Amino acid sequence: MRKLSAAMRKEFLLLIRDKMGLSILFIMPMVLIVIMTLIQDAAFRTVNEEGIPLLVVNEDQDSLGFRIEAGLKNSDLVAFHNEINGKRATRDELFKAVKEGKFLIGIVIPKGTTKAIQEDVKRLVDESLGEDVSQTKQRSTEIEMVIDPIASKSFVTSVTSQLREFISALKTRVMFETFNAQIAELIPDDVTIKKSEYSNKQAVTYKEVYASEISGEIKPNAVQHNIPAWTIFAMFFIVLPLVSSIMKEKEEGSVFRFHTIPASYFLQINAKLIVFIVICLIQFFLMLLIGLVFLPMLGLPVLQLGNSYSGILLMALGCALAASGFGVLVGSLATTQQQGAVLGSLSILIFSAIGGIWVPAYVMPSIMRRISEISPLKWAMDGFYGLFLRGEGCVDILPHFFKLAVFFAFCLAIAIRIQSKKRIG
Amino acid sequence: MAMIELKDITKSYDEAEKPAVNHLSLSINKNETFGLLGPNGAGKTTTISMLCGLVQPTSGSISIKGLDLKLHMNDVKQFIGVVPQDIALYPTLTGKENLEFYGAMYGVPKVLLNNRIASWLKKFEMEKAANKSVSSYSGGMKRRINLIAGILHQPEILFLDEPTVGVDVQSRSDIMHHLKELNAEGMTIIYTSHHMEEAEHFCSDVAIINNGEIITRGNPLELIENQSDCRNLEEVFLKLTKPNFQVK
Repeated sequence: MRKLSAAMRKEFLLLIRDKMGLSILFIMPMVLIVIMTLIQDAAFRTVNEEGIPLLVVNEDQDSLGFRIEAGLKNSDLVAFHNEINGKRATRDELFKAVKEGKFLIGIVIPKGTTKAIQEDVKRLVDESLGEDVSQTKQRSTEIEMVIDPIASKSFVTSVTSQLREFISALKTRVMFETFNAQIAELIPDDVTIKKSEYSNKQAVTYKEVYASEISGEIKPNAVQHNIPAWTIFAMFFIVLPLVSSIMKEKEEGSVFRFHTIPASYFLQINAKLIVFIVICLIQFFLMLLIGLVFLPMLGLPVLQLGNSYSGILLMALGCALAASGFGVLVGSLATTQQQGAVLGSLSILIFSAIGGIWVPAYVMPSIMRRISEISPLKWAMDGFYGLFLRGEGCVDILPHFFKLAVFFAFCLAIAIRIQSKKRIG
Repeated sequence: MAMIELKDITKSYDEAEKPAVNHLSLSINKNETFGLLGPNGAGKTTTISMLCGLVQPTSGSISIKGLDLKLHMNDVKQFIGVVPQDIALYPTLTGKENLEFYGAMYGVPKVLLNNRIASWLKKFEMEKAANKSVSSYSGGMKRRINLIAGILHQPEILFLDEPTVGVDVQSRSDIMHHLKELNAEGMTIIYTSHHMEEAEHFCSDVAIINNGEIITRGNPLELIENQSDCRNLEEVFLKLTKPNFQVK
């Protein structure tokens, strides 16, 4: 026990005297988490508060065109524009402006759009009354949505589908009014029938409810998503100082001495693991503090911790175990510090990419979704999302914790085997 | 009974054409100061590494105090001390912190360890520098702490791999003086070096090793006497290891 505590003291002293290592462990992850959350929140706010820059060219100059313009002017989704340099924009100017990135989306309502709808309705009514409509042609018009090529596909799809829904509702309204007018023409003037009016109130409406077990409203937001994701990413980056610590001992000759003293080399590794796991946990709780205290000071929502503190502790421990175990494995595989640093950082980047830290796993192709299941960062994130967003408890996250614990044991077993093999050689 | 016994030891590395150590047999008695001398790549460090249990021999057997190294390595580690050729210290820790750590690893009780550290730091005139980080030390100071780290548990056998390489004359003199004291107190010392003059004065017995084989062995003065044209151990060494060497 004295040997272990002496080895832990040594690790602690080495760590606190390594200023660069400390900044990698604490300052950089905290800066990363603040920046990433602010950026994502800003993007969220741009969409929700300032609106997406949108330019409309209304060539229709009729009921539908005017209604689309009026509707978009009042929309929170977009920042409406129909002029460039104080003049009504033309179709060509719209293409040029979107191409130059001045607007993310442009909408061209072609001439005669309203008329086409009206004629279509008239034709439909005539056909219903048994009149010969074979001579009248069905007209079709196309509302163009011009998109800046730099806009991400998922973002564009989300915005254009909302715009499509909005324009469809207006088209339906114009059709209804045209239909009403047609009917009125067919009914004699002395018959008084109360004309039906188009109602904005829909018979079927939608309500978005999060499938969360958390009492009260926990709304997924930049803080709820980013704190767990980037905390896991930062915790796994403990691999770098851990690998550096192992490699330094190899290169500075301490390992040579360890093999000649009556204390196993694995006692040194255990001491490292204990110290780095504690550091990982401190790192984790500092990150939570950022979400609970610092980010709200910057005007961001407060991080909601969910229902299970024991679950959070368990997941943090699982994550710390997996990260430290992986660090020991990389340290055993590498033969130089540089090799260890490259291997460590690249493998964490790959694990985080396939684990859905940057792009959610559910938007990945099916093959990548299957591959993502091998990433310990994915297991950790599933656990934390369960706790922070779905309101799950300690029992629910046990499978994720066990996966991380097994990964730790696996890494350690391989590292011991490699180390023994190297020594005998 | 011999303190250390190597029987027909061979060590071959996968990538090497020739074995690093080739059918080497050797016995070293208690309280000897034994010097293993040889040119670079002769097999000195491999031999010391096998004696310390760092490397397994490909064939042959090693026993220390009658204990087979293969079976009793952990027991043997209790009474051997090793001073590696490279400075095996933590540069960001102070000299004292390094010694406290290594002493604890040898299981020396805390109070006794503190006393021994203080005593050795005094002997090596390192008291003032004890609380400074090792990275600020000169080569000689690092060598002294490196040596103390290997003897804090008062081993019966001390292995030293080139303990004075790259140090100034004063530091070398200090180190050799204290090693002689330790030997006088009963410690068996096995030592490798390139400094023939140092070995000539320090060792009670030397073996000259070349291409993994012992080419001669004996008391340094006897070896010089046996080579009538040689005036010192260096000339004996050169005559035996350099085919065209002519004594001037």
